[in-house]
This record gives sequence, structure tokens and C-alpha cells, in this order.
Amino acid sequence: MDVISQNIVYFIIAIAILVILFAWAYATGRMQKDFSTMTWVLIPVAIAINGVIGYIVGQLKLPVFLDSIGTVLVGALCGPWAGALTGALSNFVIGMLTNPTDWWPWIPVAFFIGLVAGLCANAGFFKSWWKVVVTGFLIALTAATVSTPIAVYFFGGITSSGSSFITAYLLQTGQGILQAVFSTNFLVEPVDKISTAMLAFAIVQGLSRRFVARFPRPENVETEGGASQTQLFVAIGVVVLLILFAIFILSRITGG
Amino acid sequence: MHDRLSFYYYRDSILHQLNPLTKLVLVFGLMLISFIFPFFWTPHILILVAIIPLIFVGKVKREYLNATIRIILPATMFLFVMQALFQPLGDRELFRIWFLHPTLESTLFAFRNAARVFAIASSFTIFLLTTHPRELMSDLTRRGLPPQIAYVIISTLQILPQMQAKAQTIIAAQRSRGLDTQSSFLKRVGSLVPLVGPLVFGSLVEVEERAIAIEARGFTSTRVKTSLHEIPDTNLDKALRWILIGLVVITIALRIWLS
Repeated sequence: MDVISQNIVYFIIAIAILVILFAWAYATGRMQKDFSTMTWVLIPVAIAINGVIGYIVGQLKLPVFLDSIGTVLVGALCGPWAGALTGALSNFVIGMLTNPTDWWPWIPVAFFIGLVAGLCANAGFFKSWWKVVVTGFLIALTAATVSTPIAVYFFGGITSSGSSFITAYLLQTGQGILQAVFSTNFLVEPVDKISTAMLAFAIVQGLSRRFVARFPRPENVETEGGASQTQLFVAIGVVVLLILFAIFILSRITGG
Repeated sequence: MHDRLSFYYYRDSILHQLNPLTKLVLVFGLMLISFIFPFFWTPHILILVAIIPLIFVGKVKREYLNATIRIILPATMFLFVMQALFQPLGDRELFRIWFLHPTLESTLFAFRNAARVFAIASSFTIFLLTTHPRELMSDLTRRGLPPQIAYVIISTLQILPQMQAKAQTIIAAQRSRGLDTQSSFLKRVGSLVPLVGPLVFGSLVEVEERAIAIEARGFTSTRVKTSLHEIPDTNLDKALRWILIGLVVITIALRIWLS
């Protein structure tokens, strides 16, 4: 496939940036700060939360995955690298227990979900409902970007998930494979990831202050001005608007 | 998730006795070869000469067949049909029904991709059928994997079934109080909170106690820890690993040479 050789430069640049970030975080001790005993004990529980909530959501037949709530939780409470590790191990272990084909190829996506959640939380974007919506949107953007090359190179563009019908449709309208897959991901991910981030935030709100203080980065989730009801309604409103926007874009694509 | 939360089955076979790392190298070797080798029929041949013999060597025919029918075959068939119909490749149409018009090129592309995914999924499955997670982890720890990672994986394997059982109890309990988990969309969204809440907070409460408990058992100690049971690493294992690495190198060389 010549798509690979065309884009290999971008791939190498992305890997290089990640390696530099990794080395920098390691050298300055930012990474080591993420991992206390509490972190190591929280990670298995977070992975179990990922798996079991994914299972409950499947039982309720809701049109989202919600299988990274635990990952976002660790990212916020313990830091980006702990979140990234949680995501990667989560996909590894859940795949090992249920179905490797559906989980193992997406390990990098889960890694970046945790990383971005942690970075957003470090930047102070995990402190009120509307900021959490922004975090969820950034996570969705990252997830869409990272899963596009995996879907294209590993599965040839059309994966075994239901959203592939949108990809197939876009391919029929004459779009390139990369664009088609990316637009599909971009339509599907925001709703899922924003609800994930908001649920993780709701969980953090329910934890006692004494408990949160035992984790490496309790300052990341201190709410400013209290998480009021009005804020929650504004956040839900934003999510509804986003969904409407997605439907609008979808109809534009299908109409044009 | 299924009732039995693991793939592993104990059998007395050569494949079961191989070192876990050897099997891991085997899985990734097969994956790389099926992707890189510059020949259309590579994945199909791999299925014939590697996957099928491995099933017989590992004595896991029934279990493998079961997993194939339940998981691998539906996914690959879906992949094949969707890609044959919708990949915009070539212009030699095979047939046309309404707006569906698979071309020769897209069908061949889909055939290779589906075989590739089938081969990789099969090798993952065989690996999991013949390797106990605990053995894999203790072997990798002995080779320098941080023991914390091994702790995370092993303890997740214990916590997940527990939590799943708890989830089922909570679903049953809330249903018996009259919680609606089957009707309209909004009602199902609403029932998420009473289901997830007790589960998550219940399991997070245990975290602190467990942290204190493993801290008291020297979890963060940096001394080298001894292991109770040894995992054999024979000369056969080493030879097999080097052969596989050699094959992958040859594949990459062929790819570069032919392109």
C-alpha cells in the first residue's frame, strides 16, 4: 500500500515527539511522581471499572462504549503517565480475557486517551463541568486521530465495529480512505468521550476529600466554586448541541 | 464478557511446555510476517502451514474451533463483505445489485485483509489458549519487566471476575426494586447511575486498605525477589526464538529488496 510510504514521515515525527516527551518527563521526575503505591493499587480497579461499565452499557444497549472511564479517572487523579499505562494495560487485559482481536489493536488509542486526560487535568481542565466537556472533546479528538491509522493499516479502513457503515458510505461518495475513516471517528468519538469524562468527573465528585488526597495529584480535581447544578445543565446543553452539530455535519456529508 | 473469564486450558503438549516468551515471539513473528512479506497469498499460506499445525501440536482443536466460530469468523466475514463491497479500488466489476458493485480488485484486497486478520486473531487465540497469564507474567518479570506491571495484570485478572459478579448482583437487585433496564432510551440512560454508582464506589473504597496491605509486604522494595516456581527455558526455546527472529529479518529484507 502506498498510503504507508506517503505518510511514514508523519508517523516517524509523531513517534519522535512522543519519545522526547517521555524522556523529558522521566528526566524531570514528572513521571515518577505519578506512581505511588496508591496508583499501583488503583490501576487494577480502574481497569475493572473500564471492563465492567463497558459490560453494563452493553447490557443496557446504549449507543456508546464508555469503556475508558477508569482510564480517565486514573489520568486525572494520578497523572498522564499513569493514565496512559492504565489505558494500555486495560486493553491488553480485557482483550486477554474476552476477545484479543477487538481490543489489542487499539492499545495505542487507549494509551493516548489516558495521556491526554492526564495532561488536561494537569492543565487544570478537570475542575468544573464545562472544563470537563473540553477535556472530553480533546480526548475524542486524540482518539479519532490515533485510531485512524490503525483502522486503515491494520483492518484496511473498515473495522468490525458498527460505525463502519458510515465509513463505507463515505467511501462510496468518493472520499479518500484516510478522510473517510477520520470523519467517521470524528462523528462517533465526541459523544462517547465527553460522556466518559463527565462520568469520571461525577465519580471524583463522589469521593471523599481525605481519600482523594492520598493520590499523587489531588490538586488536579479540586473543584473551583463548587460543582453546581447550573453548571451541570450548561454542560449537558453543550453535549446536546455537539450531538446536533454532528448530525448536521453528517447530513451535509450525506446530502452533498 | 463470558461466564468463564479466561481462555487458558491445561493440556499436556509441547506448545504448553514452551517458554511463554517463545510463544509471544511466535505470535508477533507471525503478525509481522503476514503484514510485511511481499506476496499476496502470505496470510493464507501462514494459516495452512503455521496456524493449523499449531492447533494440533497444542491439542486445543475443540477450544480453538469454538473461539473461531464465536469470535473470529463473524468479525472476519463482516470485514470481508464490507471491504469487498465498499473499497473504492479498480474498475473490473464482478456484478451489480442496486448500488452495490464489488470489483475484482476490491474483492481480492478484502480476501487478503480478512485472511490477515484471521491469521493474527488465530495466533493470539492459540497463544492465550496455551499460556497461563500467571506463567507469562512471572517469566517476563524474571526477564526484567517491572514487578508492578505484573502485579497490575495479575490482580486485574482477580478483580474483574469479582466485579462482574458484583455488577450482575447489582443489576438483579435494582431490577427487583423495579428499575427499568429494558424500555425507552432515556429510561435506560437514567438507569445507568443507580447501576454504576454502587459498583464504582464500592470497589474504590477497598483501594486504600489494599495499598496499606501490600506496602506492609514490601511492594515498593527494590531488592530482587525470589520466585516460588521456576519456568523452564530450554535450548529448544532459544533456538526457536532465533529462527523466528531470522525469518522476520529475512521478510523485511525481501520487502525492501523487492520494492
